[in-house]
Amino acid sequence: MSSRTRLFAPLKRCYSEIPKYNTEFIKSSSSTSLPSAEHATTSNTGKASGTSASEDEIFHFQQLAPTWWDTWGSQRILHKMNLVRMDFFQRTIRNEMKIRNDDVYIPGFNHRDHLPSYVTKAIDQDIFKEVQKELAKNKFDVLDIGCGGGILSESLGRLPFIQSVTAIDLAPECIEVAKAHAAKDPSIKDKIFYKYLPLEKVHGQYDIVTMFEMLEHVDEPSEILRQAWSKLQPNGIVFLSTINRDPVSWFTTIFMAEQVLKVVPKGTHHVDKYINSSEIKQWFEENLSGRYEILDTKGTMYLPLTGWVEHDCASVGNYSMAIKKLK
Amino acid sequence: MLNTRILRRSFFSSALKLQVKRTDVLIVGGGPAGLTLAAAIKQSPHLSNLSTVLVDAGDLKEKIAGFYHDPPENFTNRVISLTPQSRHFLEDTVGVSLMEERIQPFDGLYVTDGCSDGTLDMERDSMGSMIEILNIQSSLLAKLQATNPAKLDILDKTKVQSIEYEDPEDNKSWPVVTLDNGDQYKTRLLIGADGFNSPVRKFSGIESRGWFYNRFGVVATLKLEYPPFKIRGWQRFLPTGPVAHLPLPNTNSTLVWSTTEPLSRLLLSLDDDVFVALVNASFVLEDVDLEYYYKSLQDGTITGEEVIQDVDYRINEKFNSFKDDSMIDEKYPPRVIDILDKSRARFPLKLSHADTYVAERIALVGDAAHTTHPLAGQGLNMGQGDVESLVKTLEKATQRGLDIGSLLSLEPYWADRYPTNNMLLGVVDKLHKLYSTDFGPLVSLRTFGLNLVNNLQPLKDLMIGKVSGPNK
Repeated sequence: MSSRTRLFAPLKRCYSEIPKYNTEFIKSSSSTSLPSAEHATTSNTGKASGTSASEDEIFHFQQLAPTWWDTWGSQRILHKMNLVRMDFFQRTIRNEMKIRNDDVYIPGFNHRDHLPSYVTKAIDQDIFKEVQKELAKNKFDVLDIGCGGGILSESLGRLPFIQSVTAIDLAPECIEVAKAHAAKDPSIKDKIFYKYLPLEKVHGQYDIVTMFEMLEHVDEPSEILRQAWSKLQPNGIVFLSTINRDPVSWFTTIFMAEQVLKVVPKGTHHVDKYINSSEIKQWFEENLSGRYEILDTKGTMYLPLTGWVEHDCASVGNYSMAIKKLK
Repeated sequence: MLNTRILRRSFFSSALKLQVKRTDVLIVGGGPAGLTLAAAIKQSPHLSNLSTVLVDAGDLKEKIAGFYHDPPENFTNRVISLTPQSRHFLEDTVGVSLMEERIQPFDGLYVTDGCSDGTLDMERDSMGSMIEILNIQSSLLAKLQATNPAKLDILDKTKVQSIEYEDPEDNKSWPVVTLDNGDQYKTRLLIGADGFNSPVRKFSGIESRGWFYNRFGVVATLKLEYPPFKIRGWQRFLPTGPVAHLPLPNTNSTLVWSTTEPLSRLLLSLDDDVFVALVNASFVLEDVDLEYYYKSLQDGTITGEEVIQDVDYRINEKFNSFKDDSMIDEKYPPRVIDILDKSRARFPLKLSHADTYVAERIALVGDAAHTTHPLAGQGLNMGQGDVESLVKTLEKATQRGLDIGSLLSLEPYWADRYPTNNMLLGVVDKLHKLYSTDFGPLVSLRTFGLNLVNNLQPLKDLMIGKVSGPNK
């Protein structure tokens, strides 16, 4: 920790507002033991609902609603980010498929490094086809929390193995924009259900729950996590992505993105609301020990001229996580 | 203008709305690029589910498809050079079985300067394959007929009458294409594979820039005296434009002679045997000799018979000056003895390049996006490269659950292809300009350059790599 502080000493003045811990997150996670809907409502007496975003967060995203689907507009970087998170999503889901056909050769080593390219290509193609077959047997129901204008919801809705997407958000304007946009595409308009609804009012359980770029905009992320977990079927997978609370994140997501390059609308991010990937892991270990499995954690970063790319250093900057609910 | 447009819109939207059919991809144009795209979409595990419609004004299903099952004995005059990459894409990725017996792979190119002794001798096994365009088109159609993929409609003998956006105010709404058989299609993605005068490009508002070279390409199918000793292409840069003689199976060969407009008319009007004499002369004799023949033939001061005799005499004189007869086969293409009846045709040469290949719900491929001088044999191959890249882009977009018609999905295709195509167009354009002069100092300079390249093997390999793919 000390070496990092020294490294970023010149930044310290601007960065001094960043708290060492996300106090809200740690507090609520350590004070509770079991996730239950009942508990969720009683523990939040101060507010109308435990999973709400603050007024000004909602207001901020309402302002952005009209330009949400302009891929060259205010949300371009989010549209681009959606590409890499869909890659993360697809890869995670595909890795979960078990190939039952014994005729398909699955190498127990990294075949790409050892075999000629035409062989690895044939192996990959075989596996891909088999996975595709397995995947086609599924009809997943998805809950997309914090859908905004529906960028992710639409992408999910177009995948053949997804049966329905229930997408909720607390900004009514965004829901309207999302509804209007999806209505234009006949292939998804009957698959996506947008609702202006807080998470705790959602009924039922889903095969997949997604919370991309959402936890950093809410006041009590642990409460959201608890609620989201309760909406997940056994064997279901929750996908989340947010931002580590560190100087690099402040530099990239606020200083560069919002102030210098202006590729993200000003006021989108607040560094004190960021959550470290280690804190998410800690929360799961403390609350759901033995009942979860982290399938994958990847860092993501934006390279100008290239777009978003994945990397293995999930404790710096933006990151995505996939967690499976064990039976 | 505006009023008629509004009228037309309201007419279409009220009277015919009930018949509008829906499709994911509508390809305008059944040339090599359009047909390859249709077949590649149906072959791809990611894309085969997309409903696809291909519209072409010509007779694809009988006339062009018939070429595959009942090919003519002689070779047609529209022949191109297919690079190994294009061939690999067609045969291995798209899964087409081309008519092998009508393809001639060649192992090198022998390029000479018509004004000097500048020579570039490029050699590589199967550097490219000479193939008739009809072979490509009919093989693709045969593949589609044999596999009969679901959700593919090929509408031939059908013209596009008009294209409008479903919501005229919203360029992200789906284009509605009205056909002359009364059908209307609403499409998620509209592909312009409709050539140089692309109506799809005009609808998209994408600007295309370029110029006419003021040159025409004269093509013909040649009959050779004997099969070539080395199977390679021969190209000679004359100040009027390059003349190329490219091998086909056995004693067949194909000619592309780029020249000025008046000379192209002259070449088309000559008797077969005089034309043959000039083709032979163009590879062997000096440029001044050719100038003399052109001028005398245009003025009518020389008869065809005299030209034939004079060419024979001068060629023999030249050949006799070599001590070793084998040098003749090394330096000159086999003698042409005849051309196929009615195989002569000409077409204008031009450079054009669209500012972008993509817009909301629109993508351009092949000649709709770019046209080039045929001197490097890249035109059709650039189109195949476009299709390969577009298919990859669509596959990626589908996996990511994007709307394949959205600009966001299509942008990577343009970003991938534009620089490559722009480089090729530029190089070909500069070569044309460099060789369309007989100005002394420039001739010496380019001759020095060409001979230098000829003696620097790594540089030569790099150049071959650029036009026919990396060495295996």
